[in-house]
Amino acid sequence: MAVELKKPPVAGGVTPLATKKPGADQAHTDSGATFVPDQSRAERTRSFDLDAFPVPNGREEDWRFTPVKELADLFQPAPTEGEKYRQDVNAPAGVKTSKVPADDERLGQVGTPGDRAAAVAWNAKDQATIVKIPSGTELGEAVRVVLTASDEARINRHVLIEAGHHSKAIVALTHEGSARLTGNVEISAGDGADLTVVTIQEWDDEAVQLDQHDILVGRDARVRHIAITLGGKVVRLSTNVRYAGPGGSVECLGVYFTDAGQHQEHRLFVDHEPVHCTSNVEYRGALQGDGAHSVWVGDVLIRAAAHATDTYELNRNLVLTDGARADSVPNLEIETGEIVGAGHASATGRFDDEQLFYLQARGIPEHEARRLVVHGFFAGIINRIGLPGTQAHLMARIEKELADSIDSAFEPAAAATR
Amino acid sequence: MSTIEELNPGLKGLGRYEYGWADSDVAGSAAKRGLSDEVVLDISRRKDEPQWMTDLRLKSLRLFDKKPMPTWGSDLSGIDFQNIKYFVKSTEKQATTWDELPEDIKATYDKLGIPEAEKQRLIAGVAAQYESEVVYHQIRKDLEEKGVIFVDTDTGLREYPELFKEYFATVIPAGDNKFASLNTAVWSGGSFIYVPPGVHVDIPLQAYFRINTENMGQFERTLIIADEGSYVHYVEGCTAPIYKSDSLHSAVVEIVVKKNARVRYTTIQNWSNNVYNLVTKRATCAEGATMEWIDGNIGSKVTMKYPAVFLLGEHAKGETLSIAFAGEGQHQDAGSKMVHAAPYTSSSIVSKSVARGGGRTSYRGLVQINEGAHHSKSNVRCDALLVDDISRSDTYPYVDVREDDVQMGHEATVSRVSDDQLFYLMSRGMTEEEAMAMIVRGFVEPIARELPMEYALELNRLIELQMEGAVG
Repeated sequence: MAVELKKPPVAGGVTPLATKKPGADQAHTDSGATFVPDQSRAERTRSFDLDAFPVPNGREEDWRFTPVKELADLFQPAPTEGEKYRQDVNAPAGVKTSKVPADDERLGQVGTPGDRAAAVAWNAKDQATIVKIPSGTELGEAVRVVLTASDEARINRHVLIEAGHHSKAIVALTHEGSARLTGNVEISAGDGADLTVVTIQEWDDEAVQLDQHDILVGRDARVRHIAITLGGKVVRLSTNVRYAGPGGSVECLGVYFTDAGQHQEHRLFVDHEPVHCTSNVEYRGALQGDGAHSVWVGDVLIRAAAHATDTYELNRNLVLTDGARADSVPNLEIETGEIVGAGHASATGRFDDEQLFYLQARGIPEHEARRLVVHGFFAGIINRIGLPGTQAHLMARIEKELADSIDSAFEPAAAATR
Repeated sequence: MSTIEELNPGLKGLGRYEYGWADSDVAGSAAKRGLSDEVVLDISRRKDEPQWMTDLRLKSLRLFDKKPMPTWGSDLSGIDFQNIKYFVKSTEKQATTWDELPEDIKATYDKLGIPEAEKQRLIAGVAAQYESEVVYHQIRKDLEEKGVIFVDTDTGLREYPELFKEYFATVIPAGDNKFASLNTAVWSGGSFIYVPPGVHVDIPLQAYFRINTENMGQFERTLIIADEGSYVHYVEGCTAPIYKSDSLHSAVVEIVVKKNARVRYTTIQNWSNNVYNLVTKRATCAEGATMEWIDGNIGSKVTMKYPAVFLLGEHAKGETLSIAFAGEGQHQDAGSKMVHAAPYTSSSIVSKSVARGGGRTSYRGLVQINEGAHHSKSNVRCDALLVDDISRSDTYPYVDVREDDVQMGHEATVSRVSDDQLFYLMSRGMTEEEAMAMIVRGFVEPIARELPMEYALELNRLIELQMEGAVG
């Protein structure tokens, strides 16, 4: 079952990502084990071919945390229900936006689907949106790509964001309403570009999103990718970063607030190959309610050639109530010793009693103190988005989520049954 | 890019492996290769085992056939299960004194230095394992008087059938994983230890293990039961000679730590660089109990070993200190698992690894805090030291928290030996190699100081051996 890439990855000395070895599914053997597990994150299958990815059963490393049973329909291609959703692009002057047919040859240059859902989206899409920021352009305001859907619309979405060399821009993708979405977002930052991409998931309760973001960072470019996940029943966002040349720097930031019955999964893969690149990953999440499940997987690969790499990953989870589950997996694979530094940290826990005590000692009531602590926990990321209006809106939204839980916890009746 | 040899001209010299001699292979040459019902029945029959054990072995063989190879971890495709000797008996009866041992076995142990260790009275008893079955065994009288049982596992089954049956395969069931199934089907040798309530065994119990037959698997099985309020420290060490084709070592270690008891289990494995070392080790801790794993991985071609502690009672505590060295052609995939299943439990994992000469070290671990295990605390710390630019170091820490009132922290750093450190030591008159070895010794010191003295010395010697040719 050897799979070929239909399109070559972008040139520039970047190693093509591996395709699957034959015999990978011969896991059972009692004489002479022939199966070899992936020895590096880079060996995981990437392909435009749907058949390269068997339908997940939940035992795969890649899908082990995801409720695959609820997603069976999204593992089979189905046409986009165009009448049930709209995607509007509001861009300041100077930005070129276009809708292109699915077979446009600019697509698939930055990213290659890395799982069944992304391959479904690639093969079933009927069109794609391209946002192009011309070289040298500095935008005064953000480009907004607003997706609004209703009635669990089936959507196969493809967006390509291209920032020309030495351009500077913020692009915000927002998601609202109710959909069953599979998608690919390709993000290309040219040499010396300064690009921020914000993806905000404010879905209704029943929405499902299986999305893959691929980022290619040009020489000396700076990219910030910020994921804010608040709504939805199942949201799974895989973000892959590669560098096209030396000197690139990437910041991947994220915030999630996982409520009862929600599954929010963020997977990152930063693939360092050129020299002198940096990456910094920081995701913060809060969980509350029965069956709230957050998953954070951060993979960093430093290849043998990636000298002078500097990387750090951090995931913090605040578990606000019993019955929630937080999985946190920061993986590091390092093939050279010639690096500046590499590390990761993960912390999961409840409120810091000392912080609460300090605030209460200043006369602040307990529920107010709790609210302040959570506010501070998230503000550290949200305030770095760079869009004041969006920041205020998101903080208000988080405050509201929090108020629901804290107020109910502090009502005497609720406290008695707790 | 330069080859490994060009970068490390001293590597060739490292090929000589200190313990890599082989005695004339008398017992092994006749043993049968391969795995079948017949082989399993033959092992059971020769040991004259009760029916339940024979049945369990056969059931485990079925489970082994059914279980898939792990879908993660190292490359195990070099193992040919049909080309391994599953049982080799080297002496017909068990010797009770040193003089009764056959000459070439005695010679092997002389090289390992066992009689010296005995003379120093540092060890409480030696159950030396030579080719699958214990051939030499001695326990100090005072331990026997206290009611401590320290025998090889086959004797344990024969002489303490009820105690044995109550605990065997309860911590690690036969179907736990493919290699635990294999071990349960063909196990032979290992240690069986029972420490009665309140008894403190104040000197470490020690056993040497050795593979000495080409292509011979060693499937020892160790079962330790520490009754309420007792304490025991068990030390396991491995060295094996170098052979042409690949060897498989797949042990199972089960430990039951009862209320307020404490068990410390120390391993330094230094298998020769052709051994697949695939070991399942697990302990259960009752209320107030403490389990400590001290795990050193220096030898072997591939090691996959993740000592686990299941914290089942309130205030139980689990601790793992782990060090790994990987040289050329080696993959040390080691780590630890901590499962918090009761309130007020705590765990700590400290892992240190050094990869050189193109070797690979991986930390792979799991901390799971179940619902209801409130006020649990866990702390994981992984440090890796890189000494060249061709070696590989990975960290795969899994964390699964299902309770709000907990503290869980994980931290990993990967650093390289800095030029500043080397310069400082070399300006004090050290060669670069000595300086490098000293930095590495300093890096693993927090774990080395927890080892019994002979082991700490051996570890330091091994580090120097490993670091030979690491600079250049």
